[in-house]
Amino acid sequence: MDTILELQNISKSFDGKPIIKELNLEIYKNEFITLLGPSGCGKSTLLRIIGGFETPDTGRVLFDGKDITNLSPDKRRLHTVFQKYSLFPHYDVADNIAFGLKLKKKDKAYIEDKVQYALRLVNMEGFEHRKPNSLSGGQQQRVAIARAIVNEPEVLLLDEPLGALDLKLRQEMQRELMKIKKEVGITFIYVTHDQSEALTMSDRIIVMNQGIIQQMGDPKSIYDEPQNAFVADFIGESNIIDGIMLRDYLVQIQGVDIPCVDIGFKPNEKVDVVIRPEDLSIVEPGRGFTIGRVMEVIYQGAYYDIRVACGDFEWAIQSNNPAMPGSMVGLSILPENIQIMHKPRSSDEQIIEKN
Amino acid sequence: MNRRNRELLASPYFIWSIGFTVIPLIVILRYAFTTAGGTFTLENILAIGNAINRKAFLFSLEIALICTLLCVLLAYPLVMVVRRLHISRRAFMLFFLILPMWMNFILRLLAWQMILSSNGILNFILQAIGLKPLDIANTWAAIIIGVVYDYFPFMMLPIFNAIADIEEDVIEAAKDLGAGPLTVFTKVIFPLSIPGLKSGITIVFVPSMTSFVVADILGGGKLQLIGNIIEQEFTRSSNWNLGSGLSVALMVFVFISMAFTIKDDVVREEPELARVEGSDKPDRRERAA
Repeated sequence: MDTILELQNISKSFDGKPIIKELNLEIYKNEFITLLGPSGCGKSTLLRIIGGFETPDTGRVLFDGKDITNLSPDKRRLHTVFQKYSLFPHYDVADNIAFGLKLKKKDKAYIEDKVQYALRLVNMEGFEHRKPNSLSGGQQQRVAIARAIVNEPEVLLLDEPLGALDLKLRQEMQRELMKIKKEVGITFIYVTHDQSEALTMSDRIIVMNQGIIQQMGDPKSIYDEPQNAFVADFIGESNIIDGIMLRDYLVQIQGVDIPCVDIGFKPNEKVDVVIRPEDLSIVEPGRGFTIGRVMEVIYQGAYYDIRVACGDFEWAIQSNNPAMPGSMVGLSILPENIQIMHKPRSSDEQIIEKN
Repeated sequence: MNRRNRELLASPYFIWSIGFTVIPLIVILRYAFTTAGGTFTLENILAIGNAINRKAFLFSLEIALICTLLCVLLAYPLVMVVRRLHISRRAFMLFFLILPMWMNFILRLLAWQMILSSNGILNFILQAIGLKPLDIANTWAAIIIGVVYDYFPFMMLPIFNAIADIEEDVIEAAKDLGAGPLTVFTKVIFPLSIPGLKSGITIVFVPSMTSFVVADILGGGKLQLIGNIIEQEFTRSSNWNLGSGLSVALMVFVFISMAFTIKDDVVREEPELARVEGSDKPDRRERAA
């Protein structure tokens, strides 16, 4: 895969507070890459550095191998879609979309053509002469996307573009963004704090926290094999419990030995054990690896969200069948659904404990 | 509180404006269209066309136009600088700008008189650094300095408010799409500042056109604005009919010129954010996020 953007050793602080710490990242041509993390993790700042709105304290940004670290935004071959749409309120939709092309002094017929193409692409035909403030949020964001794409950037930066929309519209726009991405075939760098959005759309997810990359990979590997407790907790709901890795293929949780598929830990190493709620099944007491009392059952439509207390730990379980609150149940797990992780070494990985 | 009761809250101002705007206006109109003997005439109005009055009128127009233009040219660069300041320093700058307005208007003009007079502070400084003294006192330039000094804040503040309201994201979007600093100004900032510019022009142009005190004090009484002539008709000549006639003529002119300036504002209807979906007012995104 060809690299289009390369971030080398990027650091950035605001008022002495480090936001990004010595970050390295390669971004490939035509991939849909998502920077995912909680607010304050540095993802937006990183995007602003790529867009040229911030200068890193250290490090370089390479575009097609050329150093663009100190190039102003107007001279970069990439465009940004902002969270707040940021349309020009004094121009109508067509003039908004044509803004970049007019600056490039393209001829009228060409601009007209491109504007129509862009409007079709974002499903906004017929809105040419509307003013931005007469459009809904979703429509404004479509125009903002059209306004960026019409200039044929090689990379499109999207800074939580759907953050201000409600859930249903957001899901609809996610599908449309993927369609647009397929049609124009350029690199999308997408920033979001919404893990389901990231899992739905991305080719590759970069999970960030406290200015460093926690994990990168395709959505499935991020979800199935989180590398630390932060990622496990941030991506979907997880049960994270202390365990001891007695030896290869055997972990002890709450005094119970459970077979697993993980190897390569020191004997008796203290570890974090991660189990996804949907991987636990409720069985008769006595079967399964533990017994607990059903504390809460909440119907979620597609499944029941069940809490089971075992000692001082409360398990979260997603089940197709309800359980009787107050009853005693057993929990079972398949060995391959147990994730074993090293305990965090640095404070950077410990944000979940503060939450 | 129902609608009727709520409207009662406006009654003090309503009574005030009847007593001190509507009735005086009727009185002035009556004076303007009658002779001293009380018969109907248009002569008081048409007197604006005679040589002395016309000269004063055109001179007033010139002063007002130049003053307005200078205020605009001074305001934009300043606003662009203040816009970028940190919020606390911004407040200080604005405070600094408004501070002189807390002092008496006449007092400030007298101070300018002392600065500009032939053996005043300005010439003292010029001579001290080896330059030739200037003969500004009682000239056209002195009046311009006076009106610009007095009315500048009224131009700057509305423009500043309009520009401060522009979202930083919108400006960044323009840069992102390839606009350099000048293009950002001409294509985004300036067009969006026009409502502020219009109110600035309205507040500066009209008073600088009709004022007479500035010309009295800084023009030395030699240069007459139309305001000075009207004032004299009321005070020295005691010809209220002529004074009223000239006032009405001036007022009509101001009405017409303002109609051109603010026409768009009245016509333009802002469809008040016809939002359909979702909560569209996200919090200002934290830059560090």
